[in-house]
Amino acid sequence: MTHAQLHPAFRTGVIFGVVVIFLMLIGFATTAAQLLGALLGNMTFPLVNLLFLLGLVGLWGGAMGVRSAEAAISAPQAAPAAKTDTANAALVCGLMTGGMTGLLVAGLVFVVSILHARGANIRACLYALSPETIQLLSLGLPPAAAALAHLGLQLLSGIAGALLGRAVSLRGDHWQRRLSASRQLVRRRLASSASQPKIAHVWANRRLRRPLLCCSGLALVLLLPLVLGQYWNYNLGTIGIYVVLGLGLNVVVGLAGLLDLGYVAFFAIGAYTMALLTAPEPHHLQWSFWIALPIAVCLAALTGVLLGIPVLRLRGDYLAIVTLGFGEIIGILSRSDMLAPFSGGPLGVRGIAGPTLLGRTFSSQRDFLYLIVLSVLLTIFVTSRLRNSRVGRAWLAMADDETVSRAMGLNTLKYKLLAFGIGAAFAGLGGALFAARNQFTGPEDQTLMVSINVLALIIVGGTGSVPGIIIGALVLKGLPEMLRPLENYRLLAFGALLVVMIIWKPTGLWPPAKRRLESREVAEAFSDAEITTTEDKLKQ
Amino acid sequence: MLDRPPELPALSRTRRLNIYRVIRSGLGALLVAYVAWRLYEVLVVKAEYGPDTWLRFAISGLVLGSVYSLIAIGYTLVYGILRMINFAHGDVMMLGAFGGYFVLEALSAIPVASEVNPPLTFLNAHPILAVILAFACGMSIAALSGFFLERIVYHPLRRAPRLAPLIGAIGASVFLENAAQLLFGPQRRDYNNPFLLLRGAGWLIPVGTGVRLTYTGVLTFVLSLILMLGLYLLVYHTRLGCAMRAVAEDKQTAALMGIDVDHVISLTFVISGALAGAAGVMWGLHNGLVYYLIGFVPGLKAFTAAVLGGIGNVPGTLFGGLLLGTIESVGPAALGIDFQLKDVIAFLILILVLLFRPAGLLGEVSTEETL
Repeated sequence: MTHAQLHPAFRTGVIFGVVVIFLMLIGFATTAAQLLGALLGNMTFPLVNLLFLLGLVGLWGGAMGVRSAEAAISAPQAAPAAKTDTANAALVCGLMTGGMTGLLVAGLVFVVSILHARGANIRACLYALSPETIQLLSLGLPPAAAALAHLGLQLLSGIAGALLGRAVSLRGDHWQRRLSASRQLVRRRLASSASQPKIAHVWANRRLRRPLLCCSGLALVLLLPLVLGQYWNYNLGTIGIYVVLGLGLNVVVGLAGLLDLGYVAFFAIGAYTMALLTAPEPHHLQWSFWIALPIAVCLAALTGVLLGIPVLRLRGDYLAIVTLGFGEIIGILSRSDMLAPFSGGPLGVRGIAGPTLLGRTFSSQRDFLYLIVLSVLLTIFVTSRLRNSRVGRAWLAMADDETVSRAMGLNTLKYKLLAFGIGAAFAGLGGALFAARNQFTGPEDQTLMVSINVLALIIVGGTGSVPGIIIGALVLKGLPEMLRPLENYRLLAFGALLVVMIIWKPTGLWPPAKRRLESREVAEAFSDAEITTTEDKLKQ
Repeated sequence: MLDRPPELPALSRTRRLNIYRVIRSGLGALLVAYVAWRLYEVLVVKAEYGPDTWLRFAISGLVLGSVYSLIAIGYTLVYGILRMINFAHGDVMMLGAFGGYFVLEALSAIPVASEVNPPLTFLNAHPILAVILAFACGMSIAALSGFFLERIVYHPLRRAPRLAPLIGAIGASVFLENAAQLLFGPQRRDYNNPFLLLRGAGWLIPVGTGVRLTYTGVLTFVLSLILMLGLYLLVYHTRLGCAMRAVAEDKQTAALMGIDVDHVISLTFVISGALAGAAGVMWGLHNGLVYYLIGFVPGLKAFTAAVLGGIGNVPGTLFGGLLLGTIESVGPAALGIDFQLKDVIAFLILILVLLFRPAGLLGEVSTEETL
């Protein structure tokens, strides 16, 4: 048992303790316990659920503690410690991790329940700690006993987790070997036999795989709205609009490499154009949807180009902040009383007309969903054609190195303006569709969160890749709808997800093929470099 | 200069830049004309405000500006060293404001034995000590959060592509705001000032109907000047400051010279966090309201101030903050527009500065390439 092992275990314990305390203080621990109860069907015992949950966390902590300790031992710079007696070492690691977590959690529970018992109004400071929650967290026991119980629980589950983690890591190599062996077997069979079932054969053929996937996806998208109810059609429509927005912003961020944080401005322009042209309220125009839609798109594109002319000379983060400022200006203007006679002010615009086609009005969410799917397909078509054209290659070159591409004779300002205008046009399309579907638009639709949401879905999905953006929209706009009980924690998780994604997978869940290749090359280069440096160290 | 054949694209580049310049100067002339017309309209034709009103606006602008420059220092330090915009800096200030708030709340709940009736609380029995404690707590909470922000979010992204830290910072900002909302609740809270520093109390300046120079305003202004002077001395007259400037200049060479770069970067975040925390407590004492979103708009404004003065330049940042605060406070009245639009003025100034003088008013003029 060395310091090299104990220190990582201690760190893991402290991190887990802080995280558990944070989750308790924001009330997530109790909410999750309720959710677990609903899942298991035993709502009547919230205490059991909470203890179960905390035990699980402890198990996880113990396992992580052992893993980090093992990593510390096997790291090349550590002293070559004797690997004997690992069961004992795992036990000590688990004790350390669970003990630290337990001490922190027990301390919190002790302090809070003592304060509560002395009649302090904790809720005035920490919003989530209502008397019932405190009662639950202190397990219905007096403060000291509750603290001891928490400490004991964490210790026990930490040790169990450590032993479990050690067992898994011992067996892990074995499993990994078997898994790769079976994978190879499957691949060999697929490759060797022409007499295999047709489907596997088609799947193995890369050129057939993509159209197959696309067709099945399209069929799913066309049939799904018929089956789903009003609520899910509405949500799918929102996801579709965000796919349009994401693809549009992808042209600006992913292809041309310009970070635009004021995307909501163009969304707002599309929405307000649609609203003011078709709604009865501020201007009595009441034009048709089909006339207003292209006007909205063109106006947004025009604004994009006009804004682009002055600011696009800036690079990187300056551009981000300026566009952010522009988005805020549009938001403030739409809220202000000054423009109220023109754009409805803080109340927004109501009664926006929906489209009519061949005498039929689009009344249900299903009709709108089809319209949105159509525009998503149009957007995918346009952006992917653009990407593979001369323009797209110019954008990629510009994103890689602006100076070099300028030296190669590229008119970067022109291509930047083009990217900005096209991105803004899709934002206008999304905004117009959004306003028409909701039959309302107002300042609360045009918040900074729209920009950040769209940016985040591109990054989570994979900058520059169409399927990635669809996945990103599904994850970021679809998951929160499914997790309604966790509504309060949505934005928190969103921020954390953004950080985790950018650190853990900077290229996103489904990066475009080129990026995948690049990141692999980079990783290989890095690992080569590491090997050489460690070799150098060993030589010394 | 070599004579270029006319078909080379280089010529079209010079023509394009000329168009850009023409548009830019046209825009500038229009703007100057508009501002001049509005000023004439308001000051000469209407003349509805007396000197007392202008003085009131100027004072509140200077106080606001000193808070901005204190936050902006954080942007400047971090930008100077890491070349990244610490988007979550405003939220660090919010955490500092909450730290001070809870200290004052706790102190106001402690009774102190005294003859006065009703009995004094610790807050009013030792007001100076209480305010010092509030500042200490707010600054240390903000410094800690700055430290962990760097450790958790920015440190792993040090070698990432240039936009990655900014996106990480946006994520951190969203996380901090929502964590604060979930922890402390969505409601707006009133800062619990001691009697000595009640909001609105202050000296009366006999101009017109009388202008009140509030104690909290003076405290904010003077304290932020002192803190910034301290920072200036730290950056330009200590070994640590020397190390910071060296790291800002060139990380690799600094490391070769024996400077612990990671340590210096951590310390930079701690210092900028502490200053933001002080700004947060001042904000609370002077404005009175704290809730989870107070950091966002001041953060953006402070960034504007940093850019206005010249990012990476400490005296420039002070100047930019004071100027921005004053413009924002006097501007709507001077131009005769709606007070709701004061934030529009601030953001417009940001865009204009980047257009006409991207290196800031006091920054050294750099080429387009470095932006």
